Formats: sequence, structure tokens, C-alpha cells
Amino acid sequence: MQRVVVACFLLLSTGCMTKSDPGKFFQLSEESPANKAMQIRHFETDGVDELLSASAAVLQDLGFQISESVRDVGFLRAAKERSAREYGQELTQGIVLVLTTALSVLGGANAIVLMPVDLHQQVNASLVARPLDDVGHRHEVRVLFYRLVWKGSGASGDQQIPPGQQKMEMIRDPEIYQHFFARLSKAVFLEAHKI
Amino acid sequence: MRFVLLPPNGLLRVTVVAAALALCSCASPPAEPETLLAPTDEQMKLRSTQSRQFEVESRRFAIRGVIEALQDLGFIIERANEPLGLVTAARFAEPRYFDVMSVTVTVREESEGNFTIRANAIFNNEPITDAQVYQNFFATLERSMFIERN
Repeated sequence: MQRVVVACFLLLSTGCMTKSDPGKFFQLSEESPANKAMQIRHFETDGVDELLSASAAVLQDLGFQISESVRDVGFLRAAKERSAREYGQELTQGIVLVLTTALSVLGGANAIVLMPVDLHQQVNASLVARPLDDVGHRHEVRVLFYRLVWKGSGASGDQQIPPGQQKMEMIRDPEIYQHFFARLSKAVFLEAHKI
Repeated sequence: MRFVLLPPNGLLRVTVVAAALALCSCASPPAEPETLLAPTDEQMKLRSTQSRQFEVESRRFAIRGVIEALQDLGFIIERANEPLGLVTAARFAEPRYFDVMSVTVTVREESEGNFTIRANAIFNNEPITDAQVYQNFFATLERSMFIERN
């Protein structure tokens, strides 16, 4: 009975898996303008090569490795791998483990739950630099950060949950973008203008 | 030297299997349909659904417009090649991230200032044939190019 309760709880917590509508992928959403403003800065400079090179240098400073670069369209891709362990998640895992162990001891059946927590992540950056006018005095840098997270192993009663469950997350924290553009401004000795 | 001999019944089994395999090679392969790689009406219709003509000053302008439109839609640019006129991008459905849409956009110059932009979208490993999806994309692309021009 306790196994059923725990299983129901886990199922409900994952939520209903409804398929997305393909048409919506190509329509602008309400968050699009805010996201765009967060990801873009304008620079008054003639050299897009310099901007791109400085962007690569900033990404390197932040620990990224440049995986692809295309000069003609001003495109850069970079990635870095780090630990994804979070104190809050591990604390929750510990609390759930203690509670379910207590339940198991009282009930007699094995209802111990060890929730898989985030273990490892790959943070990716996708950057495009382009001119804003025909003469090339103003340029725009647009960067997007997202991450892939892999979870560790877990257990639910007698059933083992293998490690490697993967999820993907767009990074929408404005501070990260502000931090990046602050460094880029310093690298090119120019002021970054928001749109 | 010592030779290890197979027992008679084992040798028989091996001989039967080898004979069966040898006979299989005599079988002729199934005839390929003549129209295997030929263009069909469906493919032509899909090509016209996925393509639009744009009058812009250069391929570079068109590619930049495509990249900007895709970024506005929340796509992650994976590949961009200006001389070949190729852009590849992908996007996950938020907030659950179970579904993934990937798109390849090509830009081809038909004549001076006249370009054909073709988008090929795949949703969870299945190609999209719904015209509305492509209309949505081209509407966003036109808007993006118009803003860029101004």
C-alpha cells in the first residue's frame, strides 16, 4: 500500500505529458520581447571581427571552450561542463529518504525513495554578432545560454533508477547575461547599449 | 601434433547450415520500385509549402534575417554557413522540454536580388507537412527582415 502511495505521488509530481502543438513553435510568444532585450546589446564600433574575437575571449574567461565559429555570419558556439550538484536538491533528497525509511520501518514493506538529483551539466552558449547599419558603425551582439543536465542514480522501493536521466533548460536569469555583457564591454573598451 | 575432430553429428549440423547459407545466396533480391527516388506530387507540393521567394539585397542579408527570426522564436542556432546559405537550429518545448523541433533553412539565389528560402522542420523526428507551421515561420521571417531593413 505504501509503495502504491509513493508511486502515485511520483507520477503526479512529474505532471501530465501533453504533446506540444508544432504550430506554436514558429509563433512569437509573450516572453519573446523580454527575452530578446535580455540577450542583446548594441555596441558603437566599426570592427565586428574585434567584437567576435572579444566575445570568444570573454567566453574563454568564463570557462567555455569554443566549439564552432563562422566569421561570415558572426556566429560562435561554446560549451563547458561542470558539476550540477545543488545543496537544496540534496537536502530534499535526504529529507525524503529519512521520511520514507521511517515509513518503511513502521510499515514493514520497502518504500524507501532515493530521488535522483542533478549531478552533471553542460552549459552552452550560442552567440551572433551582426552590423546594425549599412556603414558598419554599430553592431549587435546576441547571446543565448542554455544547459543540459544529467541526474544521478536513485531508487524507489526495490526498483533501482539508473543514472543518466537528462533534461534541458534555457537559462533565463538576467544576471548571467548582464555579467557576460559587462565583461564584453570591458574587453572592447566600449559601452554596451540595451535595446 | 594432435588434431581435434568434430563428432560425426556435429559435422552433419555444420554441413547442413553451410548448405542452407549457400542456397540463400542464389535467391534474387526483391525488385526495387522504379519510382524509389523519383519526385512525386507530394514532394513537389511539400517543396512549395516549405519555400518562399524574397527580394532582398544579398544572401548575407537573407541569412542574417533568418538567424534573427529563429533567435526571436527562441531557437538555438546550431549551424550557420553564409556561402552555402545554410542555417540549422533547434528548439525545445518549454517548460517541460519533452518535445523538440529542429529546422534547416536554406537560402538560394534564383536571380539577382531574388532568393528562395526553404525551411525544413522536423518535430520529434517526424517531418512536418502542415502548411500552417511554415506560414507562421515565414510570417515571422518577413517581420524580422522588414525590421532589419528599417
